[in-house]
Amino acid sequence: MSEVPEKDDDVVLAGEYALGLLSAAEAAAFEARLGAEPALRALYVQWAEDFAVLAEDIPEEAPPARVKAALDRRLFAEERPARRGLFERFGLAGLAAAALVVGLFFVVGLPGTGVQPPENPVYHADLRAEGEEDIILAAGYDATTQEMYVERRGMQDRPERDIEMWLIAGDNPPVSLGVLPENERIRLPMTPEQIEVLQGATLAISDEPEGGSPTGAPTGDILATGPLEDV
Amino acid sequence: MKDLDAIEHLIGRCALKDRNAFSDLYSATSAKLFGVILRVLNNRAEAEEVLQEVYVKIWRNADRYSTGGFSPMTWLITIARNAAIDMLRKRKGTGEQMPEGLAEAMPDSAPGPEAQAVQASERERLDGCFDELEADRAEAVRGAYLDGETYADLAARFDVPLNTMRTWLRRSLLKLRECLSR
Repeated sequence: MSEVPEKDDDVVLAGEYALGLLSAAEAAAFEARLGAEPALRALYVQWAEDFAVLAEDIPEEAPPARVKAALDRRLFAEERPARRGLFERFGLAGLAAAALVVGLFFVVGLPGTGVQPPENPVYHADLRAEGEEDIILAAGYDATTQEMYVERRGMQDRPERDIEMWLIAGDNPPVSLGVLPENERIRLPMTPEQIEVLQGATLAISDEPEGGSPTGAPTGDILATGPLEDV
Repeated sequence: MKDLDAIEHLIGRCALKDRNAFSDLYSATSAKLFGVILRVLNNRAEAEEVLQEVYVKIWRNADRYSTGGFSPMTWLITIARNAAIDMLRKRKGTGEQMPEGLAEAMPDSAPGPEAQAVQASERERLDGCFDELEADRAEAVRGAYLDGETYADLAARFDVPLNTMRTWLRRSLLKLRECLSR
């Protein structure tokens, strides 16, 4: 293949990579170039697009329901050792206090879904409707798990509508943190980009069609807002 | 199946960790991806395991989709196919694992061309170009893509030396690209 121009070599290489025909070492060398060479990357994407058309002939086959059930358990079952953490923090000297905490957990902790508030939230926000005193949603950022803990305080769902949470940093457009499920307490995973702008930002919730805003920006009523404050 | 814009929207919602969107995406695409995986593995138990892995990757890497330059179904199908081929090669114990960095693990800073929708005309174009190859060479490219066959598998299937198969396939790729760019 020594006579073919260099560009043709890359066309072939990208095709072999897309097909999975390269050895591990060749593939690693190819990947090392991908990040720095947009033209090479475009060649690979083009092959992936072209070959994916071949998959059109493959008949669809509904997977058994157990796959989705296992997937949900694996991705969304939240078991956090919050209680053990509290015991450790109080230690032996604080037995009386610990007993009190245990009591509290039995009262308010157990009936929930198992989602626990962060032990040491870095930022906290109380969300209120405009001009109102009552807090309808409280949030705390848990730096150890990189999640936003959100707790409903008497907020009502509207029928056939969803509530979506937004992060507003400075003059930037609101960034969706996701649709809030109906659970009383939930934890929303945060991306590094979102975490970076938390200081001084504001949380807001808006009323949206089911499944959340179709546009990526709030489309319905802003139901409540609250500034994120250092704890 | 929902249209491509709807699939793209759902992937975008998954990047924001919207679980409802994830369920909708699963409903809309899992039959296709399960079909792709079954085709490679031909074993339902393994295919179920791989399908689960694939949707874990989709959920975790959805935020990288928008910068990858892939159309939504290509991104999903590529993740599914690569995971299935990984399992196939693990099963066979061949050293050739699918490379780590395929679609789902792309560097997210790299710019890509605008994602293109796969349309009926794309299909005709591709079929037309495959038809320009000699029949067994077209079959070799299809075998590599759809069944995850390696150069060694293909050389054995077509009963030619390994280097001959490499040459066939590389020339076929060049011809295909030349035809597809016309």
